[in-house]
Amino acid sequence: MNDTPRFKRVLIANRGEIALRIQRACRQLGLETVAVHSDADAESRHVREADIALCIGPASAARSYLDPDGLLLAARMTGATAIHPGYGFLSENADFADAVEAAGLTFIGPTGASIRMMGDKITAKRAMRDAGVPCVPGSDGPLPASMEEVHAVARDVGFPVIVKASGGGGGRGMRVVTDAADLTQAVTLTAKEAQQAFGNPTLYLERFMQKPRHIEIQVLCDTHGTALWLGARDCSLQRRHQKVLEEAPPPGIAPDVIAEIGERCAQACRRIGYRGAGTFEFLYEDGVFAFIEMNTRVQVEHPITEETTGIDIVAAQLRIAQGEALAIRQEDIQQRGHAIECRLNAEDPFTFIPSPGTITRWDLPGGPGVRVDTHVVSGYTVPPYYDSLIGKVISHGGSRDEAIARLRVALAEMRVEGVSTNIALHQDLLADPHFHEGGVDIHYLERWLAERTAS
Amino acid sequence: MSNPSELLSDFNTLPEPEEISQIATWLSEAGLESLELSNDTGTRLRIRVAQAAADTAEISSVPACPAEPVAEVGTVAVSAPYFGHLCLDRPMGDGAFAPVGSMVRRDDVVALLTLDTLQVPVRAPVDGEVVEIVATPGALLGYGAEIMTIRPS
Repeated sequence: MNDTPRFKRVLIANRGEIALRIQRACRQLGLETVAVHSDADAESRHVREADIALCIGPASAARSYLDPDGLLLAARMTGATAIHPGYGFLSENADFADAVEAAGLTFIGPTGASIRMMGDKITAKRAMRDAGVPCVPGSDGPLPASMEEVHAVARDVGFPVIVKASGGGGGRGMRVVTDAADLTQAVTLTAKEAQQAFGNPTLYLERFMQKPRHIEIQVLCDTHGTALWLGARDCSLQRRHQKVLEEAPPPGIAPDVIAEIGERCAQACRRIGYRGAGTFEFLYEDGVFAFIEMNTRVQVEHPITEETTGIDIVAAQLRIAQGEALAIRQEDIQQRGHAIECRLNAEDPFTFIPSPGTITRWDLPGGPGVRVDTHVVSGYTVPPYYDSLIGKVISHGGSRDEAIARLRVALAEMRVEGVSTNIALHQDLLADPHFHEGGVDIHYLERWLAERTAS
Repeated sequence: MSNPSELLSDFNTLPEPEEISQIATWLSEAGLESLELSNDTGTRLRIRVAQAAADTAEISSVPACPAEPVAEVGTVAVSAPYFGHLCLDRPMGDGAFAPVGSMVRRDDVVALLTLDTLQVPVRAPVDGEVVEIVATPGALLGYGAEIMTIRPS
């Protein structure tokens, strides 16, 4: 910390494991913490251990963790002069970031302008393309009226392509075309449907990635022009777009390939004046990276990057917000070994139905290379109002095999009673031969679950 | 809750004394303790018609929301509808809203929660007699914290 810190007391505008994670980082930097919480989280560990705890509303997130006015008032009432939004809730709300700064407080994250730019898919993609970050090849705008020109665009992009309605979304108004012979009919039909469904026949097309992996790059940027990339994570194991298990580095992708994409991300950050921690998410298939979106906050899976680089990302967020220059240089950042994170949810491992309730037994694993980030203690009651994440078990090893072995032992040591958890799902995944090979695509887990149900 | 500076974007000069007097009258008529105006250039005007709220720097502990109201059998707890510093006295200084032993009607204002320039009324949930003040005046209370108990009549 420098001699005149901008803030000494941080309001943590979040709950659960990330609130405790932020509180720990604050403590280590000598900062006081204010835990604001809902009625349902009064007994939470970070609330009990905070310097100041204040219940700001009922269980409903809209009247507590998602209430910008309430959070700003709570900061004033408790003398907190900085707000850490964590992930989810208001962390990517540009208006909230602006309101915090307008109130003379420090928002521990990027500027509202950066959040706004990345929140809009079109402006984000344009900014990234301008900065040299690879995006999904596509028509880069509405399809031309002439079918001959549409065919030319599709040939340039390369089949298979996906034809999408500009006004569409949520999986509607799109058609995959694998053969040029089908393109004319697909465009005509999709335009007609788009007109009927969205009142707008405008279409665009993109290369359709069939079996992509989800690869993401962690960045860290200070306010003195330094932007660093901290390596890549593979988060391909997803169920209903929710990440289940993540690892770093992504298996089977050469370090120099990661380095090139990482450097482009850092360059994009310098170009847009990005501040704080962030993540560039990509689809990756056949050696091609395609930018999807940027998350302008700390991610759930940040610990695996902390384990492989030795950098405390949350502490770095706080230091950057204090106005400090990053003390590390890109050439100092090493990728050490391999790390894997399992997200533990209080849910049925087969039906995925949430399992709120009181945890009567909570025995944690240990040993070299094992880390558990959790707010849960024995006797804790998982409230039904929020997501069901109860913790993260993270392993680190010299090799991927060692990380897997450590995680298997760690999960076998865990004893949780009182609620159902997805520990059994993680154990099955860790024993799966395709997972062992590495590099499964983003649809793999859904297929695997469907087969498990069928058998 | 709007920021006063947004409501009064052209607040650049101080109001005349007569205007301040008028504002003070409105505040007391509305049962409010203070009004604060500020603008982007740092001009601030605070009009108080009663005692100041407790200093926020003096916080030592904040009562948490009780998991369940701990009112004595046969009484009803009055809990904080928001968070803020507890103010039991009327802004004009003519005593407490609802001292122990007083009779209150449902929806009567029995206390205020002061948040900087904002005041949130605390209303009685039932008709009855105030039997105990549980919270400390001036303390920063969390949402749901018990303030007093009422024996329904």
